[in-house]
Amino acid sequence: MANTMTAKQAITGGLWTELPVLRLVLGMCPTLAVTASVKPALTMGLSVLFVLFCSNIVVSLMRNLLKPHLRILMFTLTIATFVTIADLFLKAFMPQMSEVLGPYVGLIIVNCIIIARAEACASKNGIFISAIDAISMGIGFTIVLCILASIREVLSAGTIFGVHIMWKSFVPWTAMSLPVGAFITLGLMLGCANLLTGKKS
Amino acid sequence: MFKAIKEFIEKSWLLIVSSFVFGLLLAMTNSAWSGKIEQNKAGKLSGLMSMLVTNADKFEAAVPNVRVEVNKGKFAATDIYTAMSNGQIVGFCFKAEGTGFADKIELVIAADANFEKIIGFNVLTSSETPGFGDKIAHSFYNDQYKGTPTEKLHLVKSGDDKIIDNEIVAISGATVSSTAVVNILNNYLQPIKEQLKEKGLIK
Repeated sequence: MANTMTAKQAITGGLWTELPVLRLVLGMCPTLAVTASVKPALTMGLSVLFVLFCSNIVVSLMRNLLKPHLRILMFTLTIATFVTIADLFLKAFMPQMSEVLGPYVGLIIVNCIIIARAEACASKNGIFISAIDAISMGIGFTIVLCILASIREVLSAGTIFGVHIMWKSFVPWTAMSLPVGAFITLGLMLGCANLLTGKKS
Repeated sequence: MFKAIKEFIEKSWLLIVSSFVFGLLLAMTNSAWSGKIEQNKAGKLSGLMSMLVTNADKFEAAVPNVRVEVNKGKFAATDIYTAMSNGQIVGFCFKAEGTGFADKIELVIAADANFEKIIGFNVLTSSETPGFGDKIAHSFYNDQYKGTPTEKLHLVKSGDDKIIDNEIVAISGATVSSTAVVNILNNYLQPIKEQLKEKGLIK
């Protein structure tokens, strides 16, 4: 097949060349919604990593059985199952975090990163490559979310992981914990990523 | 006819089979964890209640399903809990809800044993604006309710928040959230008091 990938491509793809949030601009909903502080962002990143890993493996296993016109349905079914499991897990073992994330856990189902990886990678590659791809994509997503959340948390509350790090007279920028802070920070990060890669507008 | 059925099964067997497999997987996960999830919910409520009524050692459901009008013609059901300490009633707690600025606000409200004074309230769920509306959960605003008589409350723009009476000083920049909390208390206090009187729990 023309679209098969090597392990190296899968690793660098997720971590840089196809970094979901900054290069493909996919998965914007959780990126903007749950990055007011680092803890929920990390939990969201890890939940996406788990769902991505499981769905990539299942899709990869059934890739030869998929009928073209039913494939999206199968992807969604698979993703929804693992998202529900992740949601139940958070409710059972991290109830506070589950409340902070609220509906955004359920919304992982419609996170484009996962369905895009099922379509672009898992339905064309073997289990090994799909698993590596899921891990690197998931880690890339988590790192970007955590960076964005750290910037917002430091500026909006002067803390990281709830630990105070700014000087005493620091006045918190409340706007950074509101949606406007997410948009501004994400915009600047996208700009930085484009600067680093020398991408012309 | 037979051909059509055959074609249907050929195309969709994977979907049908995996629906069953995934359904089974979810059922197993749910049955394994649902007990813990229920426990967490109950734990959060009793945790908030014991934060309010600090001298209570036990909370018991006293009057279930009290109907309260929360909005014109809209009713909500709530349970009243008694806070017990060595077999004596030291207070009453109940969950209350109302419309806030962004979404529904759910509070846990505690009142003393005669239902004359509010002990305080805690926020169970809310999505009020960070930095403004979410101040209902702490700060001077929350403290104003500690000891307030269980009468009709009024919201005032300015005043002394240190004086504990039925005038509540609003949070500047968060009038809607401040009003919402006052409305929730006004909606709930009277019906709850009446219910407790009816059941003979207070005079």
